[in-house]
Amino acid sequence: MSVRYGVVGWTPAKRWYDAVLLGAIALYLVGYTELAPMLVPESRALDGQSLRIKAFGSAAFLLLTFALAIGPLARLDRRFLPLLYNRRHLGVMTFALALAHALEVLGWHFAFSPTPPLVAALSSEPGLGTWPGTPFVPFGILALLILFALAATSHDFWLNFLTPPVWKALHLGIYLAYAAAVAHQVFGYFLAAANPGFVGVTVASAGLLLGLHLAAGLRGRRAPILGAEWVRAAAAADIPEGGAVVVEVAAGEPVAIFRNEGQLSAVSNLCAHQNGPLGEGRVVDGCITCPWHGFQYRLADGCAPAPYTEKLATYRLRVEGGEVFLDVRACPPGTYQQPVPA
Amino acid sequence: MQTSLAEAIIAAAMGYGAVGLAIGAAFLVFGIGRLDGGAHGAYAFRPLLLPGLALLWPYVVWRWSGGAAPGFAGQRRHRAAHRWAWIGLAVLLPALFLTALSLRTPVGDAPVRIAAP
Ligand code: HEM
Ligand code: FES
Repeated sequence: MSVRYGVVGWTPAKRWYDAVLLGAIALYLVGYTELAPMLVPESRALDGQSLRIKAFGSAAFLLLTFALAIGPLARLDRRFLPLLYNRRHLGVMTFALALAHALEVLGWHFAFSPTPPLVAALSSEPGLGTWPGTPFVPFGILALLILFALAATSHDFWLNFLTPPVWKALHLGIYLAYAAAVAHQVFGYFLAAANPGFVGVTVASAGLLLGLHLAAGLRGRRAPILGAEWVRAAAAADIPEGGAVVVEVAAGEPVAIFRNEGQLSAVSNLCAHQNGPLGEGRVVDGCITCPWHGFQYRLADGCAPAPYTEKLATYRLRVEGGEVFLDVRACPPGTYQQPVPA
Repeated sequence: MQTSLAEAIIAAAMGYGAVGLAIGAAFLVFGIGRLDGGAHGAYAFRPLLLPGLALLWPYVVWRWSGGAAPGFAGQRRHRAAHRWAWIGLAVLLPALFLTALSLRTPVGDAPVRIAAP
């Protein structure tokens, strides 16, 4: 928020989140390097470093898949919302795991030659068609570079410094990174089929992600309302106390209609921070609280409480016979609207 | 890739990064407070920015020397961009799997004896 920067905007929830996440990653890595060797026959046993390469690489990929799955999961089922709060740290940890993977690779496959490891890694790619054949390391390098750029610009400072549209465009790079990571795996791996289990994991992860986004996208298209200035937006009874319903408006931003202490207020559904879906958040201490990073706004005028300065567009509401009507013309951000009892 | 080309790429990347680190460090000490009010009196978070500053140093130089921040485009455009990104992935990922499958050399076939002993 527009207040002095810290290293991390810590909250108790974020500490728990990070602790659980780090614990899960540690378990996975230890499980992979300690338990996996017991499952494979002696003849196919791997040395510790090869195991670590695989453990770090697969952990990075699974974490990236998880990070990209949270958005649609939370849209499909509100119980996943708490996972969204701290998604930024997932990205940074994904980069750390991918970097560990790459460093292990450099220290293993390219360690025993007079050529410096980095030079060797770039120059020793086999030609297309010979096994392992298809160049797959460049895809890994591309993915790692993108993950680095995103992790390096994840602090809130960057959102202001680059401005939100540029920052968001840059962070769309996560999709390219995902595609590159998949290419890295299928070309390196599929072809060799030395680890059929992980081929299945890669395909299943990508399929799951695409399916989730399709399902969430179809759901988001519900209730398009067209035309006039005043539209019937919802049945008052459908708006939960302390929560909201989101209304898609034909022209303009989606609108979130909140109920707090029996009164209704309508604001833009897009958080002023990074367009988080406010309607999926809740009212905490009398303020709408964004599910993504916890920015808060007062219900009646859409203003963040002092010392913050963010403002949301507000909307006029009317209630007649248990139906909520919405004026789809947004009022300037910060305009006071008397909450409507319903 | 030829060794000489690989060496040139790595040298260029190192040079770029070294210039970026120097500019980034100077920016953290002298420039940031002027450009961003949120950084006034806040120091602990600054080293975190260094990798990003080293990566994007041409933009840092541009802003530091008084260049304007890029203008604001609507929020809807961004939501549409996400939708297109997913549609792109829905095409690209299956295509990657199919390409890999078609390139795949069969492994694990039973060994065939080519001549009787
Ligand atoms: C500079 C960047 C990278 C390099 C040089 C690199 C290199 C490699 C190499 C050489 C292998 C084969 C390892 C072996 O079988 O011994 C491999 C496998 C793999 N890489 Fe990477 N990689 C990079 C980045 C990434 C990234 C960013 C991800 C994921 C987000 C990733 C995920 C994987 C996975 C999942 C495997 C297969 C692991 C297994 O054998 O089960 N890599 N990589
Ligand atoms: S708090 Fe970050 S998007 Fe709302």
